[in-house]
Amino acid sequence: MDHLLTVENLTKVYARGEVLALNDMSFSVEKGEFLVLIGLSGSGKSTLLRCVNRLIEPTAGTVTFDGVDVTRASPSELRRVRRRMAMIFQHFNLVKRSTVLTNVLSGKLGYMSPWSSAAHKFSRSDINKAMANLERVGIPEQAYKRADELSGGQQQRVGIARALMQAPDLLMADEPVSALDPATSHSVMQHLEVMNQEDGVTVMTSLHFLGLARRYGTRILALKDGQIVYGGLPSDIDEVRFREIYGEEAEEVGVR
Amino acid sequence: MKDKYYAGFMRDMPAWMQNFRHLRKPLFAFLVDFLSLIYTWTIVSFIYNTYAHGVASYTTLPWWLMLIVTVEAAALWENFGVSVGMKLLGIRIATADGKRPSMLACVVRFLVWHVSGLPLVGYILTKKGLAWHDLASSLGVVSHEDVETRRLPWYRQSWSLAVAFVLLATVIAAFLVTRVDWHALITNAGRTANIWKAFLSPDWSLLGDGFRLLLVTVFMAFMATAFGVVVAVPLSFLAARNLTQGVVGRTVYITVRTVTSVIRSIEPIIWAIIFVVWVRVGAFPGVMALLVHSIADLIKLYSERLESIDPGPVEAIRATGGTKLQVILYGIIPQIINPYLSFTLYRWDINVRMATIIGLVGGGGIGQRLMQYTRVWQWSQASMMMLLIMLVVWVMDYSSSRLRARLM
Amino acid sequence: MAKRPKKSEFGRFNASLERFAVLRSRAFAFFLDWAAWGYISYAVMYFLNQYWYTWYVDWYGTLVLPAWGWPIVVLATLELAILMHAFGHGIGMSLFGTKLVTTDADYPTRKQRWRRFLWMHASLVMLPLTLLRTGQDGALLHDRRSETRMRAWKDVKDVLPARKPRAWIRTQSGIMTLVLIGVTFWLGWEITEIDLGMLFSRAGMSARIWKDLVNPDFVHFFQPDPMLEQSIVQGLIESIFIALLATLMGGIIAFPLSFLGARNIMGFSPLGWFVYAIMRAFFNIFRSIESILWAVIFAVWVGFGPFAGVLALTLHTFAALGKLFSEQVEGIDPGPLEAIASTGGRRVDVVLFGVIPQIVPSYLAFSLYRWDINIRMATVIALVGGGGIGRVLFYYKNQVGFLSNAWNQVGAVVVAIVAVIWLLDYISGRVREKII
Repeated sequence: MDHLLTVENLTKVYARGEVLALNDMSFSVEKGEFLVLIGLSGSGKSTLLRCVNRLIEPTAGTVTFDGVDVTRASPSELRRVRRRMAMIFQHFNLVKRSTVLTNVLSGKLGYMSPWSSAAHKFSRSDINKAMANLERVGIPEQAYKRADELSGGQQQRVGIARALMQAPDLLMADEPVSALDPATSHSVMQHLEVMNQEDGVTVMTSLHFLGLARRYGTRILALKDGQIVYGGLPSDIDEVRFREIYGEEAEEVGVR
Repeated sequence: MKDKYYAGFMRDMPAWMQNFRHLRKPLFAFLVDFLSLIYTWTIVSFIYNTYAHGVASYTTLPWWLMLIVTVEAAALWENFGVSVGMKLLGIRIATADGKRPSMLACVVRFLVWHVSGLPLVGYILTKKGLAWHDLASSLGVVSHEDVETRRLPWYRQSWSLAVAFVLLATVIAAFLVTRVDWHALITNAGRTANIWKAFLSPDWSLLGDGFRLLLVTVFMAFMATAFGVVVAVPLSFLAARNLTQGVVGRTVYITVRTVTSVIRSIEPIIWAIIFVVWVRVGAFPGVMALLVHSIADLIKLYSERLESIDPGPVEAIRATGGTKLQVILYGIIPQIINPYLSFTLYRWDINVRMATIIGLVGGGGIGQRLMQYTRVWQWSQASMMMLLIMLVVWVMDYSSSRLRARLM
Repeated sequence: MAKRPKKSEFGRFNASLERFAVLRSRAFAFFLDWAAWGYISYAVMYFLNQYWYTWYVDWYGTLVLPAWGWPIVVLATLELAILMHAFGHGIGMSLFGTKLVTTDADYPTRKQRWRRFLWMHASLVMLPLTLLRTGQDGALLHDRRSETRMRAWKDVKDVLPARKPRAWIRTQSGIMTLVLIGVTFWLGWEITEIDLGMLFSRAGMSARIWKDLVNPDFVHFFQPDPMLEQSIVQGLIESIFIALLATLMGGIIAFPLSFLGARNIMGFSPLGWFVYAIMRAFFNIFRSIESILWAVIFAVWVGFGPFAGVLALTLHTFAALGKLFSEQVEGIDPGPLEAIASTGGRRVDVVLFGVIPQIVPSYLAFSLYRWDINIRMATVIALVGGGGIGRVLFYYKNQVGFLSNAWNQVGAVVVAIVAVIWLLDYISGRVREKII
């Protein structure tokens, strides 16, 4: 039983106790899983993902990644942990004015010394690897274009290439396809699936559409008001469960 | 941002301290009313005194008497109508069910206010957020949205009338204080005809000399801007709220912000006076004066831009495990290069304008020569210098706005 | 950015004239590069003066070359500019956004560039003939002979084969810019006679001044100084009112006249364009001279005193606000205007109900911004006789050596000025936030 990630009693409180974003959550993630987080907006999905790599500081609780206590790690330990966790974002979070290649190479920053990164001196092997990753996601010809000249789907793929540069053990995706159209969404999710199945990367992603979750996830974790209300196989979510998670007026919208 | 609050470990604020929250709005409104009334009275006194007695005095009654009367007037205004302060803060006096108060209730509230509101006692020792004078008159201070209002035109509402009156009085007082004399403007035009004749025929023989001085002026502006940028860029990171956190960060932020505000408030000409005494007349003190002011202004512009950067890329670089330096280099700097360049050009433009006038206090360049000519009333030479100044400022303005448009 | 209404609404381009429009940016780019080289050669000669004891630049900074020197300099810089245009991508070309490409949208070869270089000489020698024989696509003699064209970068960006972009620092325009900046630094240091040695050697003497400055003496803060008949507070009030009046009057006059300076209101008849040009020229001219210089004139006109300051600031404010306002008018959303016109409204109605509501917030914000600037100017406009707190300031400055606490009193005035400007800056900043 080799848990890659263990979350225990994770709590996050905002605004002097008025907003409880995460309420005593506990779960664990196995190596090789494709975990999907679902839930209403504001149920805590983004907060949870960001607490795992401490982009947001948790109020209480513990996050353990491959034996390392992330919540109590020193800054340099935290950096070492972070470079083994890659993250892609809903709004892509690319540096708009830099080239696509530079954006992908910035995935390697965690491994570079301060001097070489300051001088933008990326090694030849890094550059080759970056080009290879761009080819892998299907956009090698965009390498020298400015990041904001690309379409949404292409930008997200640059984000994936950046994540690939880290050769991570865990990939976290914060609503990676919410800003994309259905066809592009599938394309992006397929890249994640390939990473999961061929590279053995554990994937933890939050999604809005249950259809996508069912299609790609091996396990689903449903959040409501900062707590886990369901954890199990995608196929086990029936009407009743669905309403429990999303509320009484919810209806499932298909993403074919 | 770090959140160190742990649920369940903190107790509520004591009741009497919480009441301070209810104190804030009425107190602030009263302050605004009091200040506006006292301002109006002094302005009107000034106008009256100037016209009736020919004396530029700001008081018609002893100052302590004026204070007391104004306090009373402000309280009366607030209790019986909608005052400027109340309008500004969006509060009203109303009964418990949102209706307009009766005359008797207003009177009661006004009278009791002297005991409870004035010494602030009644605001602190309150029950359920209602001060003593509120309880006595069964009225309360509520937000303006909760009250049904009559929509009166502006000339029938006390606060709008007051604002209009204040504006009018201010303008009249301004005319008096600045001793506007349209008569002199019109009659002197004829008397100073010779000057205008000389002024409208510039002395073209000074063209070469003038261009050389222009060169010095432009270089002055360039040096001040260039060195200003070198100093301001690193300091701007220390003056950005989103980059300075923690106790040390806060103090640095506050110090840098305060110092630059003070320096910015002192015009370059005043700085030039100081530097002229320091390093003698010439272009050098002009450069120093412009430099000091440029640094402060650039820090303000730069840091304001830093505070509104897109946090996305910053988050992304942090997530890949980058150090703070890498986050700055890869996440922040690419975003800000163009805005920073644009601000630099903007500042260079302003510095060129300033450099033309800094010669007036001995700062060198074309301003100094202009000052010399005007002192000896050589108007056609002076107008040549002004023409050249016009030229260089216009060229600078045009090219900098075109360049900035391309950058953004 | 203000949207520019299409010129074709009024003036139309002849097909034959259109090709000259393309030539315009090319000519400007060339001149810019030529000027850049000329500037560098000036610096070279200055440098030679310093270190080779030549005398090409006289004490005043003007070039004094022997008669045979001028043609050499002119030709040399011209050659360099032509070289850059044929073989490189200089500053002029990047600023005007042009790029040298072949007729079939590819990068030019060495050979093509050589041919271009050589034929450019011919073009320049026979310049009028060359211009008359401009091709339909704006091609000049040397373009046709080398089968290259100078195109706008945005047109060819997607058509050219992809190439790895070089870091800006290593491009020709980047290097040239850095060289120019470096040269300007060096020249500037010399011309403005920066002398850090003097700064430090006289630091001790200045320390005395600083000490007094930071120990302000508020003796005349409320009490008027008998020599001046004015106290610091009175001076401040005067300055504030000077600025207030100037902003009010300047703004009120600028408001209607700004419409006369807006293309989308005036651009419907030749008379309209004429008025527009006049207004814009007027705004530019009176903006270019700082208020304090206008105060020199007005002080002569109406005598020393705050009125001269008011007039000077009003004139400058009017010009500055006029320009800002008319840019706002040019940048409005034409949608509501269309709506009102379609309901049958006259031009006046369109302006009153469509234009004005859109621009009032920015007008107010700009006026507040201008008030800020005017307050700063009003504190020093007394230097040329404009009245206000500057009068007190400069009086005490001139009493240095006669009054023992002169610098302390100067410090007091400076403190007062800082406090007022800071407060008003803050208030106007907050109000502007609320408006926009």
